[in-house]
Amino acid sequence: MRPKLTAISKTDPGTRKTILEINKLRKVFSVNGSFLTVLDCIDFSVKSGEMICILGRSGCGKSTLLKMLAGFLTPSSGEILLNGKPVSDPGTDRCVVFQEDTLFPWLTVQENIAFGLRGRNKDKKGIRKEVDRFLALVGLTEFRDYLPREISGGMKQRVALARVLILKPQILFMDEPFASLDAQTREEMQNLLLSLWEKLSHTIIFVTHDVNEAITLSDRILVMSKNPGRIREDIHVNLARPRKLEKEEFIFFSRKLYEHLCD
Amino acid sequence: MTKRENNLIRNPVFPPRRGTFRAWGRSGQTKLTLLPWLIPALFLSAWIAASETGLIPTYLLPHPLEVGRAGYNYIFGKVGDASFAGRFLGDASASLIRVGTGFGVAVIFGIPLGILSGRLSVVQRLMGTTVNALRAVPGISWLPLALVWFGIGMKTTVFLVALAAFFPIYLNAAAGARQINPLLLQAGAMMGVKRLRGTFAILLPGSMPHMMTGLRLGLGIAWAYLVLGELTGVPNGLGAVIMDARMLGRIDIIVVGIIIIAIMGRLGDQLLTISLRFCFKSARRTS
Repeated sequence: MRPKLTAISKTDPGTRKTILEINKLRKVFSVNGSFLTVLDCIDFSVKSGEMICILGRSGCGKSTLLKMLAGFLTPSSGEILLNGKPVSDPGTDRCVVFQEDTLFPWLTVQENIAFGLRGRNKDKKGIRKEVDRFLALVGLTEFRDYLPREISGGMKQRVALARVLILKPQILFMDEPFASLDAQTREEMQNLLLSLWEKLSHTIIFVTHDVNEAITLSDRILVMSKNPGRIREDIHVNLARPRKLEKEEFIFFSRKLYEHLCD
Repeated sequence: MTKRENNLIRNPVFPPRRGTFRAWGRSGQTKLTLLPWLIPALFLSAWIAASETGLIPTYLLPHPLEVGRAGYNYIFGKVGDASFAGRFLGDASASLIRVGTGFGVAVIFGIPLGILSGRLSVVQRLMGTTVNALRAVPGISWLPLALVWFGIGMKTTVFLVALAAFFPIYLNAAAGARQINPLLLQAGAMMGVKRLRGTFAILLPGSMPHMMTGLRLGLGIAWAYLVLGELTGVPNGLGAVIMDARMLGRIDIIVVGIIIIAIMGRLGDQLLTISLRFCFKSARRTS
């Protein structure tokens, strides 16, 4: 199947269907007998094709939130509904790109990308074709036979992106995926992500602590506060794309957001 | 003088000299094919020197040439020409079968139990104390018991070999399974990997470097316990030859036996490594 090449973001956000609904989500950890409320009263919903950034300082529980959405952690109370059905276990409909390197070190780039497909009953030719397509999409065709330890950090994250995109998840979670990259590579990866998003029109939830990254990428920014983690603000980013760091409106937006984050 | 020149004089940059000794760590380019033979060669020369000068009397250690002749006879001689002549093939195959069987039994129990106890704390709790207690018992103390249980011969030897090889295999498999990055397992789960595929596609390859260490240690120990098991009066086998030779005062044959076991042990280790690398991507690429 050919990828959809129309950018879904051009349609009116109001008419898109809600894909993910989070109601009264709460997470309490027990530490040495005392209870610590990490997340409280998390309520939001995500529409199909949206790119949402969850922005917060370290320790505000944004990674915990993402782990619950992905199904790695169970919430203490509240519910997560994907297309109306409650989420319990991890699954291929909700994929994660982690901050750390989580490629399988004994598989080459293309074997890593094919890993998820090989679990499904698919013929070898079909898998090969899909892998070729996604290798090209992330620009790693020449590096297909390299091992993870032989490629750079940015390339590893490209592989991590390709190996989940190939599974066509309903929603993609990204947990500070570019945080450990250098500034230039990070910008490159942001552009790659945006172009993939245009081509494949995924729904993406992107966790970051970087204000500029949030503005560059997202339609909507959920600002989180600490102790306990709550969603303090739900900001729509109505800047025109492509968003350039040096534009005046960008700087203005960034400064405003930064103030929100700090007080 | 510019700052850079000044600096260059104080810390001159020499081009790397060719032919320097660069064997520390893994050097891919430098060829050191002869290096492994250095210690055996030194050993042999010292032995020759000691024998030629009469420093060591022949009844303690025969001349290398004599040992070589005995070895040649033992391996290539015709049965019946002399004592020990031509026994090699029978002894070596008997010993190999014992080592192979014992090692195989150790692998069959050690790897699955090790992986299980590395991943499941219940199994770890269940096995840990017992394994560590039994591990402390020297193999030789099992010998009398094994003789009573299994009699002299194949069964006793295999029992000792399997018991001894089990511990390093089990412990390293457990360590390998325990140290796997939990994020790899999470990544697998999110890509739709269920338990069975997760075991074979993530758990085993992820533990491979440790497992390989355990298998190699286990095989080495298997040879040690083979000789112990064969010292008890079995008719054939490399250990039996050494024991027979001691009875007959044939020091040369004892030395031949020792050298053959050393060579077979080394080859066995190499064969194990090569076949693991041949069979498993993870062994090829991560260890």
